[in-house]
Amino acid sequence: MKFVTALSGWISSRNTGGIGSDTSRAVNRLMRPQTPARDLDPLLIWSAAALLLIGLVMVYSSSIAIAEGSKFTGYQQYYFVIRHAIFLAIGVVGGLMAFQVTMRQWQQFAPLLFLAGLALLVIVLIPGVGREVNGAQRWLPLGPVNLQPSELMKLFAALYAADYTVRKLPDMGSFRRGFLPMAITIVLVGFLLLREPDFGAFVVVAAIAFGVLFLGGINVRVFVLLAIVAVIGLALLVWLSPYRRDRLFGFMDPWQDAFGKGYQLSHALIAFGRGEWFGVGLGASVEKLFYLPEAHTDFLLAVIAEELGFVGVLTIVVLFAILVHRAMMIGREAIKLERYFSGLVAMGIGLWIGVQSFINMGVNTGLLPTKGLTLPLMSFGGSGIVANCIALAILLRVDWENRQVMRGRS
Amino acid sequence: MSKQRTVTFNHNPLLRHGLPAWRPRAVMLGLMACSLALIGRAMYLQGVNNEFLQAKGESRYARVLEVPATRGRVTDRHGDMLAVSTPVRSIWAIPTDVNLTPPDARKLAGLLEMDVQELNRRLAAGRDFVYLKRQVSPESAQQIADLKLAGVHQQQEYRRYYPGGEVMAHVLGFTGVDDKGQEGVELAFDGTLAGKAGARRVIRDRRGQIIEDVEAIRAPRDGQDLALSIDAKIQYLAYSALRQAMQTHKAKAGASVVLDARTGEVLALVNAPTYNPNNRSNLSGAQLRNRVLTDVYEPGSIMKPFIVGLALDRGKVQPGTIIDTSPGRMTIGRATISDSHRNGALTVAQVIQKSSNIGTVKVAMHFSPDEMWRLYDDLGFGKPLNLGFPGEAGGRLRPAKTWKPIEQATMSYGHGVSVSLIQMAHAYLAFARDGELVPLSLTRLDAPPVGGKRIFSAATAREMRGMLELASGPGGTAPKAQVAGYRVAGKTGTAIKLEGAHYTNKYVSSYVGLAPASDPRLIVAVMIDEPSAGQYYGGAVAAPVFAQITEGALRALGVAPDAPLVPLQLAQKQGAVVPARENM
Repeated sequence: MKFVTALSGWISSRNTGGIGSDTSRAVNRLMRPQTPARDLDPLLIWSAAALLLIGLVMVYSSSIAIAEGSKFTGYQQYYFVIRHAIFLAIGVVGGLMAFQVTMRQWQQFAPLLFLAGLALLVIVLIPGVGREVNGAQRWLPLGPVNLQPSELMKLFAALYAADYTVRKLPDMGSFRRGFLPMAITIVLVGFLLLREPDFGAFVVVAAIAFGVLFLGGINVRVFVLLAIVAVIGLALLVWLSPYRRDRLFGFMDPWQDAFGKGYQLSHALIAFGRGEWFGVGLGASVEKLFYLPEAHTDFLLAVIAEELGFVGVLTIVVLFAILVHRAMMIGREAIKLERYFSGLVAMGIGLWIGVQSFINMGVNTGLLPTKGLTLPLMSFGGSGIVANCIALAILLRVDWENRQVMRGRS
Repeated sequence: MSKQRTVTFNHNPLLRHGLPAWRPRAVMLGLMACSLALIGRAMYLQGVNNEFLQAKGESRYARVLEVPATRGRVTDRHGDMLAVSTPVRSIWAIPTDVNLTPPDARKLAGLLEMDVQELNRRLAAGRDFVYLKRQVSPESAQQIADLKLAGVHQQQEYRRYYPGGEVMAHVLGFTGVDDKGQEGVELAFDGTLAGKAGARRVIRDRRGQIIEDVEAIRAPRDGQDLALSIDAKIQYLAYSALRQAMQTHKAKAGASVVLDARTGEVLALVNAPTYNPNNRSNLSGAQLRNRVLTDVYEPGSIMKPFIVGLALDRGKVQPGTIIDTSPGRMTIGRATISDSHRNGALTVAQVIQKSSNIGTVKVAMHFSPDEMWRLYDDLGFGKPLNLGFPGEAGGRLRPAKTWKPIEQATMSYGHGVSVSLIQMAHAYLAFARDGELVPLSLTRLDAPPVGGKRIFSAATAREMRGMLELASGPGGTAPKAQVAGYRVAGKTGTAIKLEGAHYTNKYVSSYVGLAPASDPRLIVAVMIDEPSAGQYYGGAVAAPVFAQITEGALRALGVAPDAPLVPLQLAQKQGAVVPARENM
């Protein structure tokens, strides 16, 4: 509590003016649940908190065996869960700090942040600087931890797309001035991400950027055209690259080559089947015992499905739906209040979490082809968790500013 | 594309364009549809298709493990352990899971008693499963388990241990590494001794560790214990007597079998050379051979009493009937047979006592080939005894129709016919049991067999025993067969070995006898193959072994002496042999 007081003190001393002191009050309220947090969206907070905490428990459950049985972790069963908890703490602190930043400031810095994100994506590709794991060069070593620029890029893309759309609102009907510059930018980001390679992150970034453009009123015909081009392009990409084609067909019938290409998915599906309605019980998963690869990251949902059953999966899907729904509602509220940037940022974040969680869960259930995407807020992964927390803080900030405006304080 | 210019004078362009409200709604609807799709898919996987998926899962991590059953123990007739199963462990590995540091590898190799290169060679095998070492002692296995090496696993097994070692080797045989009988009693009675392994279903993680015992499918059924007819004490006696004779006479091989005349039980069965069943590395075929059962030889003179018995039985001759054997030669067809000495006129009893070939042939001439064949067939020659032992020999007894007169003549004194030692011992039961044959048994019988096969009348059998006693007496061929305190009866045999179609100058010396002669309890048969220290007559080589075994065995069984305790052997110092009277 001392820390929080110090933090709010630090915030008030920095932010002179009405908003600053209000902010510290809000922070105090956030940290003290006995005070009804009327200034913040309770559904959003509780669904996010539930997802984060269930994620923490499930990361522990799904990683015990691999942590205990690996030389890499030093045979410590807490290896992954301790790191996850630390990142969660960093994420919460980061979120509290991000909450202090006004939306106007976010808008000011959006292009700069986006450029910084691009720079990081370039740096990570430099041989010897970026760190390679399993054939993908996605991480920047920063002392004891690794930074994953693509996770930050998702947040920056949401901010930048919103800023871009607001700046180009008059040109939203124009292909050349409204759509093309953004398309080129995304192609550039895509090029960098695919060099890592991180196909999943590219899909999410593109979904956020074009989703925000769509919500920002881009000409529907342009959008339909874009959609057609995207589908053809994706199809070509998949068709020309045997590696992606195999992944695509592997997901259609994992039992065809169940011990080869379909191995991961078939084990994920078995986990679902074993879970039935109520699960085999927390901790009792068999699939996590070295059968299911990436159990604590990409395939966390499969372990949830096995241990907590359909009820557990339903809970997760519903919590994400609530979270995404609240984000979109907050966005619409902001737009109604003519706070376009804030509105588009909120919807962009909603899209991010919605699209990424859907892709991840779709992959786990065999609805979508296998690709490396984590479950937002839940899967193990430092950069991802911190970026998610900051995004939630920004969402809450938009909501809070909305409420301030409605109370006529702005 | 839209050419609509948006340069307006409105300070807020959104008043014209606005942000269409349907778009967030559409996006929202799309995402909710995705959520519903996920829920539907999860319901299908977890509520509908779950059995298929669980079956797939079972096939990947459920295993049916064998629960080993203990093999039955083998004891001798008094319950002494001859073969027991001791728990051991087999160490196996999944090579791809194994990642040994050099010190670990050294430690493991040390515990497995192999060198590090050998260990690494095994682990380099491109298979999922490799035995590092089978049948490791529980202590070493525990130490290996304590190393906690990934990919190295253990499996409970049993190893057979034979406390009797080489003495019992040929009786018991041995089991293979898979605990199945491969030789001897272990093979003959495998069905009784072998347990039936149980099974249980377990779930294992991908590294092979059992994480859940799902169900026991079948409880293991242990094998039944088996009490043999063998008497360990007599077996040891027979073995040491045989070994001693082997050394004295520099023989190539030897065999002996001791039967209980009252029941047909096999009390001892020994072979030399032998082997240690507990350590069967560098084992040769000669050591493995169970000569008592699997080797056939031309028995020679041991065969003579049967045809004489038949002649007595049919009233063709009396013990006192005189047979002229001079001039010690006899021509049948184009062949000539001879005695080693000119005996002149002999009584039938003396024919046996002096082992006269010509006398025997003259007795045999009373019978047609068919009658003689039937006698030999009734005695069990020419067909295996069916004790259940692997490789039991039947010997050679050709159909009577093919016999030429010279062949009938030689067969009467044991040439041109081949038998195994145990067949011969078995046939002598007819003399010991007052004319009756019973089947032999390797297992302890609870009651003596009833209703044997009658070969001779009881009177004939007794008369024959008298003659055989004479043959082992001072005037016979085997005075060295005598035992202090007991009367013995028996017959020597000295056969020239047949190699290919030619007779060689190698001999098989044998002796079959029964004791005590007044009420036979034991039949002891001895065979010494290729004695090469100078002596080769059955009376000099095989008879002393008989005496040694019989004396010890009768004492061990507590049989009452039937002869005055006169130190008969003192009359003849060692070396004072009487081979001159011997015949083939």
